[in-house]
Amino acid sequence: MAVETSLLSSCARAATAAEARFRIDRPIRPARAARIIALDERAAGIARRAAAVEWASAQFLVCEGVAGGGAIGDFLLRGIEGEPVVLEQTLAGADVVVMLATDDRGAGCAYALGKACWERGIMTAGLVLSDESGADQAVAALRPHARVLLPTADETDLTELLAALRA
Amino acid sequence: MLRQEINELLTQTGPRTPMGELFRQYWMPACLAEELPEDGCPPIRLKLLSERLVAFRDSKGQYGLIDEFCAHRGVSLWFGRNEEGGLRCPYHGWKYDTTGQCLDVPSEADNSSFAENVKLTSYPLVKIGDVLWTYMGDPATQPPLPEFEFAQVAPEQTYTSKRWQQSNWMQAFEGGIDSSHVTFLHSGGLKTDPLFKGAKGNEYNLNDTKPFFEVADSEGGLFVGARRNAEDGKYYWRITPWVMPCFTMVPPRGDHPIHGHFWIPIDDENCWAYSFDYHPVRALTPEERQAMIDGHGVHSENIPGTYRPTANMDNDYLMDREAQQRGEYYSGVKGIAIQDSSLQESMGPIVDRTKERLVPADSGIIKARQKLRKAALALRDQGVTPPGVDPAHHRVRSAAVVLPQAESFLDAARDDVRVHPGMPVASV
Repeated sequence: MAVETSLLSSCARAATAAEARFRIDRPIRPARAARIIALDERAAGIARRAAAVEWASAQFLVCEGVAGGGAIGDFLLRGIEGEPVVLEQTLAGADVVVMLATDDRGAGCAYALGKACWERGIMTAGLVLSDESGADQAVAALRPHARVLLPTADETDLTELLAALRA
Repeated sequence: MLRQEINELLTQTGPRTPMGELFRQYWMPACLAEELPEDGCPPIRLKLLSERLVAFRDSKGQYGLIDEFCAHRGVSLWFGRNEEGGLRCPYHGWKYDTTGQCLDVPSEADNSSFAENVKLTSYPLVKIGDVLWTYMGDPATQPPLPEFEFAQVAPEQTYTSKRWQQSNWMQAFEGGIDSSHVTFLHSGGLKTDPLFKGAKGNEYNLNDTKPFFEVADSEGGLFVGARRNAEDGKYYWRITPWVMPCFTMVPPRGDHPIHGHFWIPIDDENCWAYSFDYHPVRALTPEERQAMIDGHGVHSENIPGTYRPTANMDNDYLMDREAQQRGEYYSGVKGIAIQDSSLQESMGPIVDRTKERLVPADSGIIKARQKLRKAALALRDQGVTPPGVDPAHHRVRSAAVVLPQAESFLDAARDDVRVHPGMPVASV
């Protein structure tokens, strides 16, 4: 049975355009500390082009492989300018890792990255940018490790996603 | 988040706006057939895409959708007399047929041709299934009639309702492709709603509250796959199709009828939520149909004689905090449709998307906005026909399937998300 509410019309008033004027209007801080990690060579090119756009806090990286057993220190990770990067440091403070792939050659990196993110409670997303048949394998490689997966032929999906996330 | 100008582009659907022109490329629901139940019945007022119109069914059974206002002095033709092949303005007797053509101006001489030069704007109005469809675009580019399966099956297999939602169409539509809210907002309904309960898939839903998502392009829009763990190392996939601009389907549950929505802009601050249920291989049972009429499932209980929900913003949606505490309704609001509308209306008439904090799980919404924006601009700048106009794009279904982990949901369920007339839906 429905109970009586104390403010019968509170929703009706609050949801009007006139009342919307009184909503708190403060600048919003960048929401996501995003790390965009390319898993293969073509993906690295896409990441470089996206990195040319101005972002609030996004960092763009390239994973060149995983040595040994895929522990956190085994990643061969570079910044977009080619400088070596330590994964442990780059994940500290990250709250989303976007993995970029165009084929399945980065499957090993995806597995190890997914594991590292899972252990740290970091959200993962995967973009498979390809209009070729290799996309299926790339999607399959990323599926277990990306909580959200976008197979797409449209490179601008990356910047659209990052902009939407306030990266 | 969206920039303000993009939010305005997506939410403004009046004449000569990019999104308004996009909507005008499609056949879309104008009203339910039940609103014009017989030849010569009273006309109804409609507002669609910010245009005020009147729909009527003349004495010969022809449907018409014309400018609401008489060309003479601007009187609403809702007051008109539906008589002998036309709608007559009660003020001075000007009479119009279903194409908007003026047939009679009584003040003119008997042999005057004046009426021939008076024609109101009109749009085609065609009955398919339980819905009267209109096309408000350029007659020269009118596409073939729509072929959505819910409107193609026999009358005893389908049911459509509608409700007024006091928000912009986008925030209503975005709920239709947002699979992640079901586990929370609608969790009570999965256990108790007569049109949802009892399906094996519900257990997967309730046992795994952190689904994985996959968003894939389709010819007409998108397929959004939500993946949850099933037994034996398999995945339970719920696949939601979106056909541009505003058709969505909810993944099915067991042998329950399959359902979905159209979100049609009335103006920029109101929309119609059309909700349908159908079963492709059998008639709806009397119990199922009655449950739909009573507002269960995706339907709403409306104020008799209207399409306004009984639970609406003026009565705080009959909020029941005790039921919320008991776990009966997660939000305290009864019914899946009103659970959605209450929250979407609470955002305000047009939500300010510059202030959003989206998360990766919102990728379906992000992608849909991108596709709508690109399609609206491609139409405006290059005249490109948008996805979803071709009736072939309409022949999609939602699906709920259990698949091996290694399989791509779209590869494995390719046949399941296409319409095969007379074949059952893929449902768990």
